[in-house]
Amino acid sequence: MATAYQIIDHSYDVVVVGAGGAGLRATFGMAEKGLKTACLTKVFPTRSHTVAAQGGISAALGNMGEDDWRWHMYDTVKGSDWLGDQDAIEYMCREAIPAIIELEHYGVPFSRTPEGKIYQRAFGGMTTRFGEGRAYRTCAAADRTGHALLHTLYQQALKHDAEFFVEYFALDLIMDDDGTCRGVIAWNLDDGTIHRFRAHQVVLATGGYGRTYFSCTSAHTCTGDGNAMVLRAGLPLQDMEFVQFHPTGIYGAGCLITEGVRGEGGYLTNATGERFMERYAPSAKDLASRDVVSRSMTVEIREGRGVGAHKDHIHLHLEHLDPAVIHERLPGIAETAKVFSGVDVTREPIPVLPTVHYNMGGIPTNFRGEVLRPTPGNPDTVVPGLMAIGEAACVSVHGANRLGSNSLLDLVVFGRAAAIRAAELVQKNSSHKAVSSHSTDMALERLDRLRQAKGPIRVSELRLEMQRAMQNNCAVFRTGDVLAEGVTLMQKAWAKRPDVGVSDRTLVWNSDLVEALELDNLMYQAVATINSAANRTESRGAHAREDFPQRDDVNWMKHTAVWVSDKGETTIDYRPVHLTTLTDEVSVFPPKARVY
Amino acid sequence: MTDNSLRSSLSRARGLGSAKTGAEQWWLHRVAALALIPLTLWFVFSVFHLLGAPLAVVQDWIASPTVAAALVLLVAVGFHHAAHGLQTVLEDYVHHELTRLGTVLAVKFILYALAVASIVAVLKISFGG
Amino acid sequence: MVEFALPANSRIAVGKRVSHAKGAKRTKTFKIYRWNPEDGQTPRVDSYEIDLDKCGPMVLDALIHIKNDIDSTLTFRRSCREGICGSCAMNIDGTNTLACLKPIDDVAGDVKIYPLPHMKVVKDLVPDLNQIYAQYAAIKPWLQTQSAPPPDRERLQSPEERARLDGLYECILCFCCSTSCPSYWWNGDRYLGPAVLLQAYRWIADSRDEMAGERLDDLEDPFRLYRCHTIMNCTKTCPKGLNPAKAIAEIKKLMIARR
Repeated sequence: MATAYQIIDHSYDVVVVGAGGAGLRATFGMAEKGLKTACLTKVFPTRSHTVAAQGGISAALGNMGEDDWRWHMYDTVKGSDWLGDQDAIEYMCREAIPAIIELEHYGVPFSRTPEGKIYQRAFGGMTTRFGEGRAYRTCAAADRTGHALLHTLYQQALKHDAEFFVEYFALDLIMDDDGTCRGVIAWNLDDGTIHRFRAHQVVLATGGYGRTYFSCTSAHTCTGDGNAMVLRAGLPLQDMEFVQFHPTGIYGAGCLITEGVRGEGGYLTNATGERFMERYAPSAKDLASRDVVSRSMTVEIREGRGVGAHKDHIHLHLEHLDPAVIHERLPGIAETAKVFSGVDVTREPIPVLPTVHYNMGGIPTNFRGEVLRPTPGNPDTVVPGLMAIGEAACVSVHGANRLGSNSLLDLVVFGRAAAIRAAELVQKNSSHKAVSSHSTDMALERLDRLRQAKGPIRVSELRLEMQRAMQNNCAVFRTGDVLAEGVTLMQKAWAKRPDVGVSDRTLVWNSDLVEALELDNLMYQAVATINSAANRTESRGAHAREDFPQRDDVNWMKHTAVWVSDKGETTIDYRPVHLTTLTDEVSVFPPKARVY
Repeated sequence: MTDNSLRSSLSRARGLGSAKTGAEQWWLHRVAALALIPLTLWFVFSVFHLLGAPLAVVQDWIASPTVAAALVLLVAVGFHHAAHGLQTVLEDYVHHELTRLGTVLAVKFILYALAVASIVAVLKISFGG
Repeated sequence: MVEFALPANSRIAVGKRVSHAKGAKRTKTFKIYRWNPEDGQTPRVDSYEIDLDKCGPMVLDALIHIKNDIDSTLTFRRSCREGICGSCAMNIDGTNTLACLKPIDDVAGDVKIYPLPHMKVVKDLVPDLNQIYAQYAAIKPWLQTQSAPPPDRERLQSPEERARLDGLYECILCFCCSTSCPSYWWNGDRYLGPAVLLQAYRWIADSRDEMAGERLDDLEDPFRLYRCHTIMNCTKTCPKGLNPAKAIAEIKKLMIARR
């Protein structure tokens, strides 16, 4: 069967999978260092979901008031609810400053202060002097920062003549018997050929898996393909129970309305017109961290104070802002609100609802981007030949909850870190070891099985079943019973995988098959997520258990590592949180109560 | 652009590079268009007034140095404008390299020949030949 | 010469008709261009009648509904569904636009959907954009400077200088404009087209860039730039409300200003 497919071989020093912010930064970083680099991507680079990021990218530049990267680090540790690895957070927050300066030098069209410096706005959870004041730390290009950033990174990749394989769908990793990653197999949608890329390092930059949920701000393409490839390679994912709900997704459509709206002075109200966040977060109010705001909104709705005919959403106001400010700093969301909820933001509030937005969990890595495989003796064992960056990775800098504008930062800092590390590890143009055909056979068998699948269940049907189970049973608030029910529902859904049918049997741009493969990938991650959530009996960051409302640092200040077998069974183990720093310029922030 | 070409897209996009010309022609075309507005108005207005007039009157009119100069100007600018306009149209629609070159040259030849003929005619009348 | 007779694979047949609107109160018929490169058939237009109460308000929602519930072989690009990624550019009701931003209710009668005009079709509504991406790369769309940037801080740019980039940097490379331009249809191999020229101007207009002269040199060409005949389809069709025609006019003005 595998011989029925024509396979085209390639050899590179490094292969990057994914061309979002992290993938692009890594790709041209590696090309710049003289490594023979290929970047595979299932969508043209500027269509990656980084493009939809709005509010900004954080760095303690201090352009609009005092700031210090240590305060940024403290905020990030606190935002992570002390699940983030502090060495990695220190690295990210310190490197943020040169990383943003570098982006500006690349040509990102940042908004400007009157003195001509990069404009910075307030964002949730970002403070000065370890929680005392409000920090203006989030560098913005109006409310299209992700777009400005992604296009600039692609332009830099063009400048460095990086080699792209566009609309190539990555199928699986090529793993050696000794657990080394040797490359990746991909399917070229354009002409239907199969390609085997051998590489000394494979960098997964495949993004998050928001589409496991029914309602999310994520693009249709956010299916976490790299995460699933890692699981199929017998490696674990980490902290999958931590799924961020963005407080302000548009009611109904699910499109994102940036936190920058609240950073510029917008606020939330309930049915009585009350600015309820003042009750839940007296100090930070509407700019508390996202998990806190999402929970507060959910409580308001649950207690009957939601707005609208069904009392099932919340209002976000910016009609009190000067229309000139909206025009200059928030033009994109004004347009989005108009198109998707018919609202003129200068006159009426936007109907919003907490919506799945970001996955803190993913492929465990160290701060250099190398993928980890915890073993009994060493929780930080490196998987040779494999790296992961961006939302696909769990470094872990976001811990149990990510702060807004730390995500774009994560992309560029760790994209660059991966390039630096790859340059250290890879000897340029060195020869490749022979690989067994095992991985190729497995990948092609899976492709062919789904391509020929004649089952009675539509891909969209099973996808909906999974999405509903995740939406209903693994939401903002969770309880043991509901999660256990969710685990059962996902088991049932998993059992239906062999009965899925695909009706397009072609190989050129067979999007029916692409969706079937993506669904398969999503199922792995949904199973990992709901089982990890059921397993963690405490509340921390985005994981809010009503039956265990307290954070339990004694038993649970540890990362979950979860393996998923090809039968959908999960195995769970743990990794300790890194409570160390890289330098003596800052000391570890010990856990304390998290109030905003 | 043949369908089975194995050239890279970038090589095709870059082609033979920029001709580093075109601004002048584009600008002259605009200037000519502007100049043609008063010249054409004047010409139409004058011809309207001369309708039904005897040949001698018309000849006298053309013979006047001011009128002759204006007519030469009109003819020169008008045909130049037409030649450039037609060249643009041909470049838009004719894709075969040799056919395009041939038609552009032919059109230009015809138009400039007509222009020369018209100018000679004006001068002939003007100098009483 | 201009081709007046269509090649065989441009003759479009009438395809299948599917109704999926039993008992529906509000229905709409979508007539969608279909072409499969692997079945040896000529293109066809399939009709799908759907129940509008079973799908979202936008044309993309309808396409997804058709793919999910009626015919999973229907192929189109889509990603962000909020008008920022530029994937779902197609010709809807005779106008190039993004399916995700186009309300179904804006179309009177049947909704006719074709791929972006005058591009090679890969399959169904998926056009081959390689050539236009290469044209984008050919204008060197990155910041070019000779003087070194300050080592520890950003290059300074006044808010007024930055404001000159508004209406330019927001382009999402969906290419609705270029593929609506007759000049680009006829001479797309040599004319850069509105999208790419807008991007070229984005860098010429950037106060931080130091290569405006070289950029203008590279554009000054009867085909690359001067195929623009101010037809204005680009500006009319841009789903993001940008004005590529104006950007091209600005380039032409600069060509004269530097003489």
